[in-house]
Amino acid sequence: MGVRLLVLAVLSVALMVVDARFDLLKPARKQASLVLMDAYWITDLPGRLWEGIASQFGSRTELVAENEKLKTENLLYQGRMQKLAALTEQNVRLRELLNSSALVNEKVEVAELIGMDPNPFTHRIIINKGERDGVVLGQPVLDARGLMGQVVELMPYTSRVLLLTDTTHSIPVQVNRNGLRAIASGTGNPERLELRHVADTADIKEGDLLVSSGLGQRFPAGYPVATVKEVIHDSGQPFAIVRAVPTAALNRSRYLLLVFSDNRTAEERANDAAQAQENLDAFGGGPIIPATVPKTVTSPAVAPANATPAAPAANAAPTQPAASKPPAAAKPPAATPAASKPPAAQPAARPAAKPPVSAPATTGRQE
Amino acid sequence: MVGATASRNGWIVWLTFLVGLLLSVSPLPIFMEILRPLWLALLLTFWALYMPHTVGMVTAFCLGLAEDVLQGDLFGQNALILTLITFLVLSLQQRLRMFPMWQQCLVILVIFGLAQLVQLWLSALTGNRQPTLALVLPALVSALLWPWVSFALRGLRRRYKIN
Repeated sequence: MGVRLLVLAVLSVALMVVDARFDLLKPARKQASLVLMDAYWITDLPGRLWEGIASQFGSRTELVAENEKLKTENLLYQGRMQKLAALTEQNVRLRELLNSSALVNEKVEVAELIGMDPNPFTHRIIINKGERDGVVLGQPVLDARGLMGQVVELMPYTSRVLLLTDTTHSIPVQVNRNGLRAIASGTGNPERLELRHVADTADIKEGDLLVSSGLGQRFPAGYPVATVKEVIHDSGQPFAIVRAVPTAALNRSRYLLLVFSDNRTAEERANDAAQAQENLDAFGGGPIIPATVPKTVTSPAVAPANATPAAPAANAAPTQPAASKPPAAAKPPAATPAASKPPAAQPAARPAAKPPVSAPATTGRQE
Repeated sequence: MVGATASRNGWIVWLTFLVGLLLSVSPLPIFMEILRPLWLALLLTFWALYMPHTVGMVTAFCLGLAEDVLQGDLFGQNALILTLITFLVLSLQQRLRMFPMWQQCLVILVIFGLAQLVQLWLSALTGNRQPTLALVLPALVSALLWPWVSFALRGLRRRYKIN
């Protein structure tokens, strides 16, 4: 018996070391997770059934009220979107003047939360999109209000997302008001982030919005991360203590957005845009609508799809008035909102949560 | 696994393990997360006590690997813990079966507490050290749950004549 324990203990230690240091065991893990991750799905089932039943028997007045509310919200967002389109366009022009790289549009896809990590000391969640859906390691995850975290483990049909508030997670941010850069680290408390090493004299105050700065080359720039809750100046401490509350509902959101950021170079984007324009012309196109007219498409794959054609590249933009396809005309080939179609130069959807941030030019690049 | 051919109705044992795996990832309210009992360890303890020829350390190892995949821990982390628990239970098996219930609970508290400390040590090695000793709480909850689990499983065993 002792021998068996010894063998198994050595085996598990060896497995741990190999798993920590090498990628050797990843395929085995993926295979096992194919079967095992259904456990999360199964344990989530009662809740989902209950939700289904509740919605079946939801009273009419409730539904009408909800409908009203959603309509109002929708109107509000569309109003904001109109402004966003104009601002995006303006931003692109200004960037052209500055000769800096253009704003990159990101595609988003909706994922659903199917489980929480059972370990209470880590903040990780399981989502129902995996490698087969095109998710990649390190991919940013948002909810409707801000950044939530990044993908840390890929499985075929599920993936594990590390939340911003995990103690092992940090994200480069900047203050939206003045561009002050800092690093927000998780504290293990789902309602708190801490800014590390902020000078006592730094211009940061309560209520400041922190947005991602894109400096870590992992998160796209300009998404809201947190709002500063308190700034404590303690003369005994070398740095100010800055605490912030994440804007995303980290422990409440059920529907999340996966961001597919565009990692093509500016030149490739320009070529793709030109190609798409040619296709559009060859197809007969439609009336060319100026980019400032917002076009709202609601498709299942791309959630708040507002195709604001911020002409992707600097040298392609000024000549063409960034044509967008007509709202309900015949479908041009490049217009399918598929994540798996890289050459599609149609402007990717951007989530409603993104505020019209005019990030400083120094932090704009993110390819 | 070991001597699975000799056992009758052995599939029920595996069914309980499956339920244990589900329970170990089932969603709980946040304040109860740190109290989540070690379901797999409890089940392993029971079956190792009463069917030591069917359920042993190899079973524990395999279940531990499954739990690792589910929880996203390092491959082998929970496997080591569960193997350790099963080893301790097996080595105390003859005595433990004779003990009155409260004494069994105490022994289980000690064994599970030890295992949780090893768990703490391993997660400290992998870089996410928990700031508190709250992880001994699951051992306490498991020990308190032991009489009920043991009662239920004994009923199951008698009903289906598993041996």
